[in-house]
Amino acid sequence: MQVLRNVFRRRLRVILTISGITIGVLALVVMGGMAEKMGLLVDGGTKYYSDKVVVGADGTLYSGSPLSLSKADDIRQVPGVAEVTSGIGGLLDPDTTMSFGMPPMFDGSDMRGEAFESFEFEYAKGRALTTDDLGCVVLGSDMVKKFAAGVGDTVTIRGEQFTVLGILEPTLTAPDTQVYMTLPDAQRLFVQDLPEMVRGQVDQNDLANSMTVYPTPGTDPEALAARINETVAGVEAMGPSAFQDQIAGFMGIFNAIIYGIAIIALFVGGLSVINTMTMSVNERTREIGVRKAIGASDRHIVGQFLTESGIIGLIGGVSGLFLGWVAATVADKLLESRNLDLFLISPRLAIGSVLFAICLGLVSGLYPSLHAARLQPVLALRYE
Amino acid sequence: MQNTVDILDTSSTSPADIEASWAASRPTEPIVRSRGVSKRYVMTADNYVDAVRDASVEIHKGEMVAVMGPSGSGKSTLVHILGCLDSADSGEVWLDGRRVDNLGRRQLAQLRRTEVGFIFQTFNLVPSLTAMENVMLAAEYAGKKRREARGAAQVALAQVGLADRAGHKPTELSGGQQQRVAIARALVNGPKVIFGDEPTGNLDSASSTEIVEMMHEINEATGTTFVLVTHDPKVAATCDRVFHMLDGRVTNGNGERGDAYRGNGHHS
Repeated sequence: MQVLRNVFRRRLRVILTISGITIGVLALVVMGGMAEKMGLLVDGGTKYYSDKVVVGADGTLYSGSPLSLSKADDIRQVPGVAEVTSGIGGLLDPDTTMSFGMPPMFDGSDMRGEAFESFEFEYAKGRALTTDDLGCVVLGSDMVKKFAAGVGDTVTIRGEQFTVLGILEPTLTAPDTQVYMTLPDAQRLFVQDLPEMVRGQVDQNDLANSMTVYPTPGTDPEALAARINETVAGVEAMGPSAFQDQIAGFMGIFNAIIYGIAIIALFVGGLSVINTMTMSVNERTREIGVRKAIGASDRHIVGQFLTESGIIGLIGGVSGLFLGWVAATVADKLLESRNLDLFLISPRLAIGSVLFAICLGLVSGLYPSLHAARLQPVLALRYE
Repeated sequence: MQNTVDILDTSSTSPADIEASWAASRPTEPIVRSRGVSKRYVMTADNYVDAVRDASVEIHKGEMVAVMGPSGSGKSTLVHILGCLDSADSGEVWLDGRRVDNLGRRQLAQLRRTEVGFIFQTFNLVPSLTAMENVMLAAEYAGKKRREARGAAQVALAQVGLADRAGHKPTELSGGQQQRVAIARALVNGPKVIFGDEPTGNLDSASSTEIVEMMHEINEATGTTFVLVTHDPKVAATCDRVFHMLDGRVTNGNGERGDAYRGNGHHS
């Protein structure tokens, strides 16, 4: 209580200083929430692609360029290939121009490699698709809100009606924004996106735009990807490192930018703490002299002022966390209609933000505290 | 040691007898001693002040000693040096048989916690703390845990008659009450010596008398030595001995008896 009284001696000044920390932590929590959300998507992708090879028409993940299904047969001949799943997908809404994270997509596959798939889908309701379930879909958890549909309901996708067979449990990664269907259904939707001139010239039933290759046990996916590239013409095979290079690498830059912005905001808040504590030491010079006269050691004085600056950091951190959580929750609520879920305030982010704010307060208070400790008692007592 | 009444009521005994009796009652080893202490404040190479020059004093356990002199004579500087609040440029200072002028900051702080206490003209209480918390502060610095410090502070405040004002902040207390809190704070760790820098300087005459009497009572009850800087001859008159300073020097050797300052408030 004494400490709080000392901290709030100059109420307006301290409130303004705490506000600086609050704003910095709010920025950290909001920006960090976006980074955590993206990071989760990337982690999910890294884990998903860690034990398989992805084959496309070019060397870019999610490029969507069409492939012939016959390539899957060629790939199956390559030593080390256990099975190939052919798939095709596209944007659920062809007018989507901007999205944060994975946009809503339809995803059809021939499900041939299911026995080799290590990623397990868990169903909140209903059941999994089979190749016989034409005209049916399984919804990712975020798609339930978009379609306002449950198992057994009918949803409209690209003007066509589909029956909902199952709803996935949230994964916090890409599957949450996917609509899964059979390959023929997806091929039919995909053709709609092709230019009219091309549409008439392709065999809809031969279309794919990605193939997932499952290695035999003991086969290195990177080596298998290289072998496929050497052996099968007209495809680009990518091992696990491709995801890392193309997506995760981008994440590093993304994280650096958004955390950098937040850190700058916090740094400014830290400068405010230094200023406040320096002024406090200056105003309390005589008091410091008295404390030293009655026996306070340097350690006592440093401890006192560091505690005060740490408390400023703590209050700023907790209030910034609260406001950041409110901002993120409100933003996600407002963007729900656009199917955007931008923020993830993880326990790690929450605790880390508050701890960072406390450390910032302590570090910022260090110079004023040491200065206070070094004051000579008799000179401090004479200070007017 | 001697109280105010004893000093005043000496009419039936000769001055020589009084002096002899007084000297005989004094312990041999001084509790505070300085030898050749000097302190110079340097503003520029050509502009300096010798605040204390070659000061040698001895103060014995249980004495009430006053240090008098005009403004700028070096009284406060000398007392600050004796009380380990300031350092001398040269000379030696001894506190209870231990040399202290060559100690480091940490050791000096330790001495200020447990061996000496300070009272100031402007009281110097921490304004944001209550009377209890101000006294507890000194106890906590000396290493007492919160509960123990509270108990010691309660005893000290009771000793100065302020147990019922423990929860009041300095702004809610009169000058005399604030100085009593300061005395309690100085006493709480049972120091050997209490140094007062013009302890009655900011008080009216009634409060001054009250504070001086309180210090004598504490001196009598606990044997705590008091060294007081004062301008007031009435305060000096109540002390066992008075040192006089002028231009940084102690001018009257080992001091003179305090009752030489009674009468009309003038040195007789």
